[in-house]
Amino acid sequence: MFTFDLLANAIVAGVLLGGFYTAVSLGLTIAFGRLDVVNIAHPAFVILGSYTAYMVNAAFGVDPVLAGLAFTPAFFAIGVGIYRVYHASFERRGDESLRGLAFFFGLMFIVEVALILVYGVDYRLVDAPYIGATVSFGFVGVPMRMLVPFALALIMTIALQQYFVRTFMGRAIMAVSQDRLALQLMGADPTRVKQLAFGIALATASLAGAMLIVIGPVEPSMGRLYIGRVFAIVVLGGMGSVGGTLIAALLLGVIESLTATFYGPSWAPAVAFGFLLFALAVRPQGLFGR
Amino acid sequence: MRAWKGPILASRLIIEEVEAGYGAVRVLHGVSMTIDNGETVVLLGTNGNGKSTLIKCIMGMVRPGAGTVVLETDGVGTDLVGKTPQQVVDLGIALVPEGRRLFPALTVEENLMLGAYRPAARRHLDANLAFCYDAFPVLAERHRQLAGSMSGGEQQMLAIARALMSEPEILIVDEPSVGLAPILVSRMIAKIKELKERRSLTVLMAEQNFNQAIKIADRGYIIVHGEIAFRGLEPEALRENELVKRYYLGA
Repeated sequence: MFTFDLLANAIVAGVLLGGFYTAVSLGLTIAFGRLDVVNIAHPAFVILGSYTAYMVNAAFGVDPVLAGLAFTPAFFAIGVGIYRVYHASFERRGDESLRGLAFFFGLMFIVEVALILVYGVDYRLVDAPYIGATVSFGFVGVPMRMLVPFALALIMTIALQQYFVRTFMGRAIMAVSQDRLALQLMGADPTRVKQLAFGIALATASLAGAMLIVIGPVEPSMGRLYIGRVFAIVVLGGMGSVGGTLIAALLLGVIESLTATFYGPSWAPAVAFGFLLFALAVRPQGLFGR
Repeated sequence: MRAWKGPILASRLIIEEVEAGYGAVRVLHGVSMTIDNGETVVLLGTNGNGKSTLIKCIMGMVRPGAGTVVLETDGVGTDLVGKTPQQVVDLGIALVPEGRRLFPALTVEENLMLGAYRPAARRHLDANLAFCYDAFPVLAERHRQLAGSMSGGEQQMLAIARALMSEPEILIVDEPSVGLAPILVSRMIAKIKELKERRSLTVLMAEQNFNQAIKIADRGYIIVHGEIAFRGLEPEALRENELVKRYYLGA
């Protein structure tokens, strides 16, 4: 049953979903796309972000998004710490590919199990005045719980994009995986650059986690649902392109939403990944790869 | 043409009795040389004689087993042995590395801006960028092109321009002629001389192409099997040297 209403609603819902996917993927765009660090635990840290937002919201009634923002320095510090361990144990010795992957896989389970031990396996949700509200544009209804994360994701994308293009450190982050020695010859310390960039990547998980729990209830192992999607978006976006991540996430969101609306939700991932394979067959470097 | 620089600094590089190698292989056996302020010194030698290793010792990329590498700025000496490459760059020494080592997936302009990473260079970013575009108009035309997609000659220009962006006192160029057509080699060498004069640089250039390198040299050293085999106080002395005749001029 096809109606124009349904189509318009599905597209809008997909764009909003894509905004959230952008927020979850940006951290991996930096870590995997820019630094060659396969942080498979990134979605688990997003869930950790959801729980920190939940904790602050439940205890003090603070807006979850503000809580997510307030925790970015803590996540940044965790990121710096993780990178130091990763660098000293794997990267410096050149065993990062397989053992590094195992390291992040283990980290994923540690975060997940820690959350289960502290909060149990039940779904948790947050409270904010806008969560139940909906704004209507004609026949398209837009729930605020989707619109707020979408707007935030756009702000994050623009801020990161500007950081990479406008600042010396941002440009060094873009260059570090291309030629470490050449970067040293520019007067930059590649290890420090990667450490800072990984901290930023993890800081985005705090915000993305807050968005996730604004969108809907969260339980500790939910991050696994996103691992495939997030890597797909990073690859499709061109491995390290911030703008490409946004476009790829929006495309994937719209495709999933259209498929779910017209063919049933169980088809959504298959169609989305089919699109990824097709896109990579045509453009192996991703949509915005250089 | 020093308007964009701070106080005029006199820098000398003094290398004494440097021994270095990789693992058990000794490459340099007691190399000494001096590069005085404002000079263009060429380090001549065919492949595998230690030119690049000596440069790596200066830049902190290889740690000498013995000997000293000292940067003297206005009479104050700084020991470069044990410094990291980024610390050496911060002291005002820029290297145009062998093989150019650009960031291939960044644009020309992004490469140049990275050249100005060190704090002392950031302040002069705009002036230095304008200078580089003036010296290499082709880089201005292609400022949005990816560095990896340019020709060898253009990449060499970009590598030199990127080094100048770090506002160096001393410019070290490792084999600028490698991979370039003969006509481009001669232009590149002339360009290095022009830049040296416009920026009042001190230049150390390692080259195998004797005939080209000698055109701009104030002095030269010939390195054979990791030892300085000859030091020429003037270009003519180099040309007359037996080693040069044997290795380079086919006589």
